[in-house]
Amino acid sequence: MPPVVRLLAKRLGTSLIVLVGVSMLIFTIARVIPGDPARIALGPNATAEQVEALRERLHLDEALPIQYGYFLRDLSRGDLGISLYTNRPVTADIAQFLPATLELIVVAGLMMILIGLPLGVIAARYRGSWADHAVRIFTLLGVSAPSFVWAVILMLIFAFYLPLFPIAGRIADSYAIASVTGFLTIDTLIAGNLAAFGNAAWHIVLPAFALSLSGIGQAARLTRSNMVETYDKPFIEMARSYGFPERRIARRFAFRPSLIPSLTIIGLDFAAMLGNAFLVEAVFAWPGLSRYGVAVILRKDLNAIVGTVLIISAMFLLVNIIVDLLIAFINPRIRYSQRAS
Amino acid sequence: MKRAAYILVRNPLSLTGVILITLVVFGALFADFIAPFPEHRGAVVDFANFNKPPEWPYLFGTDLVGRDLFSRILYAYRISLLLGAVVLAIAVPVGVTIGLVAGYIGGWTEYVLMRITDVFLSIPPLVLAMSMMGLLEPTLTNGMLAVTAMWWPWYTRLVYNLTRSEKEEGYVLAAEVIGASRTHIIFREILPNCVPSIVTKMTLDLGFVILIASSLSFLGLGVQPPTPDLGSMVADGAKYLPDSWWLTVFPGLAILVAVFGFNLLGDALRDILGVDQ
Amino acid sequence: MSAPTLRIADLGLGFRTWAGPVEVLHGISLHINKGERVALVGESGSGKSVTARIVLGLLQELRSARISGTVEFEGRDLDRLSARERHALRGTRMSMIFQDPTSSLNPVYRIAPQFHEVLKRADPAISEAAARDRAAALLSAVAIPEPERALDSYSFQLSGGMNQRVMIAMALANEPALLIADEPGTALDVTVQAQTLALMRDMVEEHHTSVLFISHNLGVVREFADRVYVIYKGRIVEHATAEGLFADPRHPYTRALLSAVPRITGGGIPEIEDVSEDYYQPLVVHEGCGEPEGVA
Repeated sequence: MPPVVRLLAKRLGTSLIVLVGVSMLIFTIARVIPGDPARIALGPNATAEQVEALRERLHLDEALPIQYGYFLRDLSRGDLGISLYTNRPVTADIAQFLPATLELIVVAGLMMILIGLPLGVIAARYRGSWADHAVRIFTLLGVSAPSFVWAVILMLIFAFYLPLFPIAGRIADSYAIASVTGFLTIDTLIAGNLAAFGNAAWHIVLPAFALSLSGIGQAARLTRSNMVETYDKPFIEMARSYGFPERRIARRFAFRPSLIPSLTIIGLDFAAMLGNAFLVEAVFAWPGLSRYGVAVILRKDLNAIVGTVLIISAMFLLVNIIVDLLIAFINPRIRYSQRAS
Repeated sequence: MKRAAYILVRNPLSLTGVILITLVVFGALFADFIAPFPEHRGAVVDFANFNKPPEWPYLFGTDLVGRDLFSRILYAYRISLLLGAVVLAIAVPVGVTIGLVAGYIGGWTEYVLMRITDVFLSIPPLVLAMSMMGLLEPTLTNGMLAVTAMWWPWYTRLVYNLTRSEKEEGYVLAAEVIGASRTHIIFREILPNCVPSIVTKMTLDLGFVILIASSLSFLGLGVQPPTPDLGSMVADGAKYLPDSWWLTVFPGLAILVAVFGFNLLGDALRDILGVDQ
Repeated sequence: MSAPTLRIADLGLGFRTWAGPVEVLHGISLHINKGERVALVGESGSGKSVTARIVLGLLQELRSARISGTVEFEGRDLDRLSARERHALRGTRMSMIFQDPTSSLNPVYRIAPQFHEVLKRADPAISEAAARDRAAALLSAVAIPEPERALDSYSFQLSGGMNQRVMIAMALANEPALLIADEPGTALDVTVQAQTLALMRDMVEEHHTSVLFISHNLGVVREFADRVYVIYKGRIVEHATAEGLFADPRHPYTRALLSAVPRITGGGIPEIEDVSEDYYQPLVVHEGCGEPEGVA
């Protein structure tokens, strides 16, 4: 078995164990809370019979492990139960709201990589210069405010005072685009509607940037410190003593070994974005998982909460597996050795 | 000490951090004396002066029921700092102990403890805290509980990695050779060597706890009114953009200043204590 | 007689640090004739490695370094060359070998592309295929059994000795006039180090390459060098032929260094003083070893 396949198998296995743990944790938290979830879901006007019927349906009278057993049985059929808030299957709700959130996160993730990494490289190459200090202050500011503060400030400056970007929403109402992937920037292209694509892209810039700022900061700071460390390595001195061009040393010889630890953090930042997207979506009225998530949490909608958390965690684990594979791809030491650490 | 002072003075950013945090902590501690309108921390209404832009005596303007934003920000700092201190006071000992034990003892103990840690780490921090807050009642105590629940695994992860490398060091082997007990080795030999990293992370985290707590209350899942809170102030004000900009901008900047200050301070500590990233 | 490959005259080096200026080199002079192997011997911190970096023109680019004196390479004063011209010499007319071959090779690239990079220094237009052929030939010249396989390997897949052979092949690939070897192979096992040093000696003899050999290990120097400079705290204290130095060490510091080599014949490690007034005695030059007159 090639090492990469072995690595993939091992990671998938661990992730599955962790995912089962997540489901148990969130399931337990959801069931041990004070108050009767059925009563809360139905409201004070429901009759005792209605509440009892719902308790029956949710198996709330059974012991916790048995409830969890029912949950797993349904899960294996791809069924996360009915949302008490929308009265629809939780999977249908998530399928409806998730793509918008994912699109936002993917764009923000791209911004994080395309802006954060070069900033880190520049800061390291011109260590101690004004550029280095400027990058340091910018990146520190990026991680120092929650994304909703950046969202509000960006909106105030670039949507209100300088009306360069739209204030809210995902696309102008005048465009009707058939949903294929759920990613408007892709669906508009599939539809061949360039104007709509431009409009969707125009809408996503500010929220995605607000969401990516802390990730940009993390990625740039880490890349800088890794690059600085790599610059002290003998193979860089060797490259210099052979007179390789300095640009080439930065881009080729120093960057790639430095990228390996940065990638791990980028994976974690993706995870943080899955949470922070809630904040940014709230500011920009982005029709994603946020409003649904907050609504179901406030209504103690058990199935929806468990389902949403589970899906988000699964995505997090997936991103981490992808990152691990990327690292294996970049770092031959992992690709060729038996130990994958 | 001299070296510490030198590092602080040489780097203007570190000095900025010290000043910012001194101001924030001072303002929070002595809010009763500094705040022009101490009574505005609670449910006070002054419709004669509602929604005023920044003008004397309202340094940062007033909110929609006429309360002085500057006074409320000072009291919000007090609660944020208290929350941060309590969260770390619980999360750090718990996380550190689990990390030490898992890292030193190894085997099945390590596997089980670290997988449990992974479970907590694989739920995005904000999502875990949100779910807990939503399911419990949104009070200050529960807020502390929710944030603590998401915070300890980071210390476990940090200390676990440190322990694994310290374990191979000569001084630990030496202690094992002379037959020191596990407890002695873990807490007397390994732990002191992890302290610089832990202290640095705690300083940075005081800022990040404030950040996460404000995010929770921004979503309406945090401390409830009338208790002043930076996150809910931003959320309430966001509906009145751009006209009543001060309602969001000042509380937002207040979060930024505190977190930025703790970040600078943490970076300075990292230099002083010589901690690797 | 043509100009020496390398002539250093009265080279001084200081660094500005936060604790004030620090003098590292107090005016050293040395020269290497064409095809000659010259050793610069001293303990760590004596200033041998910075000398190598000045010759390569690397320290000149550091803002905190203050350099005085002259360094002439093949008759050209490095100081009068532009940074670009100095840069053009590196990897073509002069090259370098380091302490630890394995960490001197980039861990995320195979050997072949790194070799290509080296060959491009002399021939920027060289194609990948041509570079590969040439690299394979160079690797077999340093007695690497399967050059093709080595080219497709990463440095961590090869042994330290193999990596050192790769480094030697790379260092001589562009037929440099001067090879600087900074503690070559110190990180390797003693036997492997000896093998690769013998190989290096044969290679430079064959190519008539001048060598500046930097080491703290007198035993290795004796095997390798024609002439020796002993350096102590930024000053040259003795200059002799290799034979002359080992037969008749005259400076107190040299004698201390020589006696520091543990002998199997007994007595264990001798006691020597860390610092002695005697070590600061003036330069001793053996007969027939003077510096050439400056022509620059």
